Amino acid sequence: MDAKDILGLPKNSFPPLDKKSRPPKESHRKPDGISREVYALTGGLAPLMPALDPSQLKKKPPSDEKVAWQWLGITSSARKDNLHLYHWVRVVNGVPPTGDYSFAKYNKSVDITKYTNEEYEKYLTDPGWTKEETDQLFELCERFDLRFIVIADRFPSSRTVEELKERYYSVSRALLLARNPSSVDIASHPLVKEPYNISHDLERKRAMSLVLSQTRQQELRDEEVLAEAKRIAQSRISAKVSQESEMAVASNAGVEVTERTIPGETVSPLPSNAQHPSIPVSSSMSTENASTLASLRILRVYLRTYALEQMLQAASSSAGLRTIKRVEQTLQDLGVNLKPRVPTKSVCAEHLELRKEILTLLNLQKQLQYKEAEGLPFREGSYTETPGTPKHFHHGKQDRAFVPDPSFGGERTGKRDQKRKAPGRLSEAPSSPAQSKRPRKLKASDF
Amino acid sequence: MYGGDEVSAIVIDLGSHTCKAGYAGEDAPKAVFPSVVGAIDQMDIDEADNGEKNSESAADAKNNDKPKGKRKLYVGSQSLGYRRDHMEVLSPLKDGIVADWDIVDNIWDHAFRECLLIDPKEHPMLLAEPSSNTQQQRERAAELMFEKYKAPALFLAKNAVLTSFASGRATSLVVDCGGGSTTVAPVHDGYVLQKGDLGQWFSCLHVTRLGCLYYTLLAVATSPIGGEFLTDCLMKSLESKGIVIKPRYSFRRKEIRPGEFQTVDLDFPNTTESYKLYSQRVIASDIKECVCRAPDTPYDDSAYSNIPMTPYELPDGQTIEIGADRFKIPDVLFNPSLVQTIPGIESFAEVAPSVRGLPQMVIESINKCDVDIRRELFSSILLAGGTASMQQLKERLEKDLLEESPQAARVKVLASGNATERRFSVWIGGSILASLGSFQQMWFSKSEYEEHGASYIQRKCP
Repeated sequence: MDAKDILGLPKNSFPPLDKKSRPPKESHRKPDGISREVYALTGGLAPLMPALDPSQLKKKPPSDEKVAWQWLGITSSARKDNLHLYHWVRVVNGVPPTGDYSFAKYNKSVDITKYTNEEYEKYLTDPGWTKEETDQLFELCERFDLRFIVIADRFPSSRTVEELKERYYSVSRALLLARNPSSVDIASHPLVKEPYNISHDLERKRAMSLVLSQTRQQELRDEEVLAEAKRIAQSRISAKVSQESEMAVASNAGVEVTERTIPGETVSPLPSNAQHPSIPVSSSMSTENASTLASLRILRVYLRTYALEQMLQAASSSAGLRTIKRVEQTLQDLGVNLKPRVPTKSVCAEHLELRKEILTLLNLQKQLQYKEAEGLPFREGSYTETPGTPKHFHHGKQDRAFVPDPSFGGERTGKRDQKRKAPGRLSEAPSSPAQSKRPRKLKASDF
Repeated sequence: MYGGDEVSAIVIDLGSHTCKAGYAGEDAPKAVFPSVVGAIDQMDIDEADNGEKNSESAADAKNNDKPKGKRKLYVGSQSLGYRRDHMEVLSPLKDGIVADWDIVDNIWDHAFRECLLIDPKEHPMLLAEPSSNTQQQRERAAELMFEKYKAPALFLAKNAVLTSFASGRATSLVVDCGGGSTTVAPVHDGYVLQKGDLGQWFSCLHVTRLGCLYYTLLAVATSPIGGEFLTDCLMKSLESKGIVIKPRYSFRRKEIRPGEFQTVDLDFPNTTESYKLYSQRVIASDIKECVCRAPDTPYDDSAYSNIPMTPYELPDGQTIEIGADRFKIPDVLFNPSLVQTIPGIESFAEVAPSVRGLPQMVIESINKCDVDIRRELFSSILLAGGTASMQQLKERLEKDLLEESPQAARVKVLASGNATERRFSVWIGGSILASLGSFQQMWFSKSEYEEHGASYIQRKCP
């Protein structure tokens, strides 16, 4: 655009009509002077044409205008004095452009209402402000176009931004009302409709400064304190619930000794997040009266399952929905119920442990898969066999599933629980499939 | 269309280390030279050798020798680079404000007549001034410019505002790490908030023979640390290790065999101490620029005791190895108390407790401002100045600020990637401002000066 300006070309000289007739013809013919292969590189179409038609440039600029650039003076309505500045001006036919300086229109300022001394005496006196201060304020407002933060900075005595704003707006409002006492449309003027509320502003700023002026260490400490408080509150709630159940039990059963030990045991495992104590309380309960047992168990079951659900939620909140589904799928494959049928304390604890271990297993498998994928280009030759069809442990990742199994089965061999047999069985199975998988197994497990 | 309209204004930025001058509308200053001058006191050499002085003044027509009273001044890197007997090196600025207007006069004259080759009568002038300049200084500058150079129009703009404009923002917090000082100033809507301005002024160890410190308290904080101070720290540190930096004039290298050089020491007994210090400083600042890097974590002697040393070849041929100093010296900006571990700067220890590091200054400055704009200031912190082009400084500052600032504020430190732009950002901002079309109505013209006097400048140049 600038180039055209300098050369003096008219801006819309390029005729659009010619262009339309040309493209259909050109697409079928190969233009001369360009080899067939190169032409085919562009996809059989002509390369992009520049916007300017070269033939146009050869034409002489229209000769009826004479364009020159002159170093002429600026006359600007924005300046009141006679400062002479010069700039380059495009002169056509020896006639310099007329009119005001094109940037003078940006010299805008804010409308500040002015008051006379009488008006000040009549309407605007205020105990907290002297006339000089008010005058200074208005002068600064005009200089700085109502930028109150800058005005507060330059104000000779130290007044806060809110005080300045309040004074300014109240004065303007009073003046407005005084000058137009009866006019109805003043009522819709923003100054009248919504007066400046200094207390609200102060409150807002105070709140904001609280948020913004804390250092990082303070915030961390605050967070820690809040988390601690939350934990304590929760433990108190669950203690309360168990105490209520305890009251019901105590009223039913006549056995006091074990009952008294129960509150201590129910309260402690709950806050400690499913670390199951090794005391098998459930077995002792089975020796009690049947009636108390029933009511007790009902209460206990309710409590246990509820607690279990809570813990499950806590544990699974860190994993995604899909992972939870896979964990549940794994449990089903193992033959374990999603919710334990006999939810005693140790059973529930074992169930949670199992879930956690399955989660760990899944994570390890995923990581292994990633590592394998990374190492695949380097070890292409080493995979001579495709895995056979051993038992489908998980969604096709058979050989990797066996990796954590030795440790998996090893830890739990002591337990006699039924569901433990399922992984135990699987740990013996891999010995039969192809032996060549072993080196790979070890390699993969080394990571 | 774009908002520019060239009126061929001249932009001058007289900093504590270098003076930058050039045409508005360009993207770099044409004239960059040190803002110290060499001065020969006429009375001294009058007795010594009259004949030499006469021949010198005749031969050195190029130098800006203006015998005002008793002094002859030499301005510009070429004049300064030539060693003269009894030549003292003087700076016009003391603690960041102008103390000697005669030197300033000479500097401007040199810039106009010898570097830019213009007639000041025809060009409006834009001067960059420190963010906390006094009314008296501004009036003096206006007087000098209008009376002596007869400029048609003048405008005084604050450094911080110009840096802010150079990055295209009207509101920002400007951290100007210059040669003589480090200034942190908040700019809101194009105006500097003076009550939040924290200046750190320092000009030391050059100028006088005693080599004592000067510093000034400004606003609330004081931390007189700038690029020159870091250079001095480096020099003292090298000296304590037994490395002597020979100034360039004090030796000559002869080629005895092809490829092999022999250094011959020359002796000039009449060279002043300040000149020697100045020459040594030139070399030390080159070492600093090449080798120093801001460390990622606060400097710790034990952690950095085993790092590999970097070689540097001095002009006289000897190669020195610099190890932990590479990281120690820049860390002084962040942790001024490190200075006490450098032998030779004991007098600094007196003011050390009150001097704070850069991140603390930034946070203090922001906390002094109104709550409404704090968030915006946090997210636009601009780095400018010669010292700011040190490597890794921006990253280290950002990291330190993230640790100390509240979480609600998103801290962002900005610095232009180009080192030249960082050094000249004040000048570039002035160039942008003076070539805007809507700026032309803001000049303080000669007729206004004649009508209202120099004090009118306070109103015209806020």
